Amino acid sequence: MTNALFTLPGFAEGRLIGLLLLILLFALTINFMGQAKLPYIRRVPALDAIEDAVGRSTEMGKPVVCSFGIGGFDYWTVAGLSILGYVAKICAETDTRLIVPTGGGSETYITREAAVDLVRNAYTAAGRPETFNEEDMPFLSGEQYAYTPGYVGILVRERPGATIMTGSHYSEAMNIAEMANGVDSITITAGCYTSNMAALACASDYIMLGEEQPAAGAYLSRDPAQMASIRVQDIYKFIAIGTILLGLVVVNFGSDIINRLLST
Amino acid sequence: MSSFFRSRSVQMTILVVSFLLVFVPYFIPWGPLDWLSGKLMTIAAVTNAFTIVIAVYSQFRRSGRFINQRRKGWVYHIYLLALLAIMTLSGFILGQHGGAYEWLLLAVVTPLSSVIYGMLAFYMSSAGARAFRARSPQAALLLLAGFVVLLYQAPLTGAYFPGIEGAAVYLTDTFGMSVSRMFSISVSIGAIVLGVRMLTGKEVAFLGFGEGEE
Repeated sequence: MTNALFTLPGFAEGRLIGLLLLILLFALTINFMGQAKLPYIRRVPALDAIEDAVGRSTEMGKPVVCSFGIGGFDYWTVAGLSILGYVAKICAETDTRLIVPTGGGSETYITREAAVDLVRNAYTAAGRPETFNEEDMPFLSGEQYAYTPGYVGILVRERPGATIMTGSHYSEAMNIAEMANGVDSITITAGCYTSNMAALACASDYIMLGEEQPAAGAYLSRDPAQMASIRVQDIYKFIAIGTILLGLVVVNFGSDIINRLLST
Repeated sequence: MSSFFRSRSVQMTILVVSFLLVFVPYFIPWGPLDWLSGKLMTIAAVTNAFTIVIAVYSQFRRSGRFINQRRKGWVYHIYLLALLAIMTLSGFILGQHGGAYEWLLLAVVTPLSSVIYGMLAFYMSSAGARAFRARSPQAALLLLAGFVVLLYQAPLTGAYFPGIEGAAVYLTDTFGMSVSRMFSISVSIGAIVLGVRMLTGKEVAFLGFGEGEE
């Protein structure tokens, strides 16, 4: 460990810069959340595909399968729920059956309830509350590898016209995406797991890579809080890139100032 | 009393106090605060373990409804509840180690999970075979890079073409790692911002509240 550049009495050594960056992040987020002006977010191609895929299912008289991941209330799940809300809205308007397999992790007992409310509200808002069927949102299992065959079983039995996987799906995503492809379903996925993202891109018709998913969630929800996330992330990414470049330059001049600045 | 704890303001207060108790000692180490923070972590871990009780209770209620009303697939719910009961009772009565519970876990649950995980290789191969086409110079370059890394992963290829190791390690340690780190930085910032949204009450679904609900 290199010696930290700044230390203050009473503070843990090397954590001052981290604290300042966090305070700045808090301030920026709160500031952007309060702003009425929404930033420009480019429309992600996979979003257009969602509308087409649901339309295809409607024409073929097939259901749409859409899941929001197997994680708790994390970064990906919040984005996944926004996309699920959008899919539920289109399905409710076009009177297309929507199946939402839930489960896959112990925390999904909590997220499932939020998803049920979200889909029910979408059907109510579309003026078709009677078509909402909670049994089309089965809880498959709290275990990842029990959830996977349950999901695959739904695909084989129901033969959906579109399969949309959002939120945090991990290794099970490949099994599901390939099976969806096997039953001739349009497959739209969101990759949040670097280890299988490339393979998932091969298996899917459309994919939202990494941050495209939260951006899509923010774009669809128009929620200032989600928009603020995107703006703050962009600013911090520029700070990270700047620090990396600066670090490269100063290290080549024999200085360890950036190392000491970020030392923990 | 229960309505008091269900109110949004009380839950938000608990959230903010818990956050400060973990956040502050990380930056300002101070004995009593560290002790409080440690205690809070233990309470959180114990509370978290108790959620499984709620989960089992919810599953019994839901499956019971299915069976009572003879809904589609009700027989599978009997099967599910029976297995749930066998696993739970064998763990409580016969103990976790060396008994039926361990056998069920090691001889049934773990192999079944491994089978599902192992099937991933076949799915990845079929997806790769369908998608790996050199339709453009960029796609050809990507295909070549993927091919080098794949060959390096196979032990036999490494033995016959030792030179491939340098190329594969260069590709994964420079291009692969830089992309992966940028991804991690971005996700970490996103997670912190989500935390700010939760602390400021802009994200309340995780507390079980709908929009505008008090």
